[in-house]
Amino acid sequence: MEDITVKTRLGEYLVKAGLIYTKTDEWFRKEGETLIIGVTDYAQKKLKYVVNVELPEPGSEVKKGETLSTLESVKSVADVYSPIDCEVVDTNGKLLDSPDLVNKDPYGNGWIAKVRIKGEFNERSYLAPRDYADKIMKEES
Amino acid sequence: MSKTVREVPLINLQREIGGNLGEFAGWLTSMDYGNPMDEHIATRTSVSVFDVSHMGRYVIKGKKLHEFFQKVGTKDLRKFKEGFMSGPVLLLNDNGGIKDDVMLYYLRNDEWLAVVNAPNVVSDREWLVSLRERLGFTDEDVSIKDVTMKTTLIAVQGPKAFELLEKLGAPSDIKNLRILQFIPGAEVLGEETTLLSRSGWTGEEVRSYGFEIWTSIEHGAKIFRKAVEEGGKPAGLIARDSLRLEIGYLLVGEDMDEMVNPIEARYWLPLTLGKTDCVGCGKVMEAYERGVSKVRIGFKLRKGDRRIPRHENKIYAGNSEVGYVTSGTYSPILKRSIGMGYVKSSYAYIGFKLQVVIRGELHEAKILEFPMI
Repeated sequence: MEDITVKTRLGEYLVKAGLIYTKTDEWFRKEGETLIIGVTDYAQKKLKYVVNVELPEPGSEVKKGETLSTLESVKSVADVYSPIDCEVVDTNGKLLDSPDLVNKDPYGNGWIAKVRIKGEFNERSYLAPRDYADKIMKEES
Repeated sequence: MSKTVREVPLINLQREIGGNLGEFAGWLTSMDYGNPMDEHIATRTSVSVFDVSHMGRYVIKGKKLHEFFQKVGTKDLRKFKEGFMSGPVLLLNDNGGIKDDVMLYYLRNDEWLAVVNAPNVVSDREWLVSLRERLGFTDEDVSIKDVTMKTTLIAVQGPKAFELLEKLGAPSDIKNLRILQFIPGAEVLGEETTLLSRSGWTGEEVRSYGFEIWTSIEHGAKIFRKAVEEGGKPAGLIARDSLRLEIGYLLVGEDMDEMVNPIEARYWLPLTLGKTDCVGCGKVMEAYERGVSKVRIGFKLRKGDRRIPRHENKIYAGNSEVGYVTSGTYSPILKRSIGMGYVKSSYAYIGFKLQVVIRGELHEAKILEFPMI
């Protein structure tokens, strides 16, 4: 599987292979019973330069679709939604001093939280890279 | 994205050099080129290059330009002369509310140019044409042509702006230009521009150097490309906004609109106090004499506070609501968020501490004098 670069008239967006995506522009990677969650390149480019990140407390429980974290750019504010019922295990503390890691490296050093799955995990409720790329194309056509 | 969004003429070049596109006032243009804070700092310490072609551009011709603009603008233009820009001039509605601030360029007696704000490219022209009829002027006295889509405006801003333009073959006497002075037909890259002016909206046009080049689309593209190749940092609208906010320049539609008058907005630069012969000027004089109940302020949050104050966030003094925010951003120079807003006049003291409500939480804000850096 190769990374996909989506080109629209508004921009170019990387959709990384090997990750699972949501309709609300989060990505995650599943490692056993934990998920590592971040926002996509498309999301960070829409949001623009991030100046402030609010992270959840480790140990807190977040329901699927609820706010896990809030990203704030000079242009707007965006919530990062939890893709599943979960308990927060760890967060990326580097974002407090360098919130722009979300822009610089959304799929790597800009990760947001690590959570433990509390509910049932069903991969079919999410988007594969190709489907996520199609979603972007559709939104920007 | 709606179909009414127009692309600025240099959009493809912006894309090519890494522009992160977004919408502003009906235009698609670059919000940044990767890191708006770096772009901001480059403008303050070195030199950056902005494509500001989303601003409206008019060619204004006729026999009675002085007479007309004396009656539609807030600034006394009797001493306005060839080779100079007017500085901002306010167009007011009949109640003294602010429609726009526009910049006039005196090319010659019967030909001026104007730069108007992006949201008002169409409406300003309509307003001026309606005033022409109302005030008894004819098409021969004043004619206004919108050339926004046929031209570009490139801003080169920062302490090294002169050196960069010298590399691009601009005449060396631009170094001696006074603020708001321009050279019509100045050559850049061996081609004539419409004009090259010492001006800008970053503050650097006053603090160090700032130049703006009004030229054709093709020539503007060459200049922008070459300026970036020669070390100018391409910069977008996010940096432009944080730069102007630090200085205290007002953005129409955010910090001023038809609901506020120039006294409330503390917008002195375009005002000739006592001038009562323009549309809305009498109302401004009334407001001046009566006093105003709210005024514009600038403020900073505490060091390290990165929450951004947003348009319409409320401002409190303890339990008392005393005002509202009109714009906010993050200042990489002050390393905290800053903003602008209006508060009741009785709370508008420099150094006074108020609280801004950002997403339901109170944030301490200290009132500053402009410029805030």
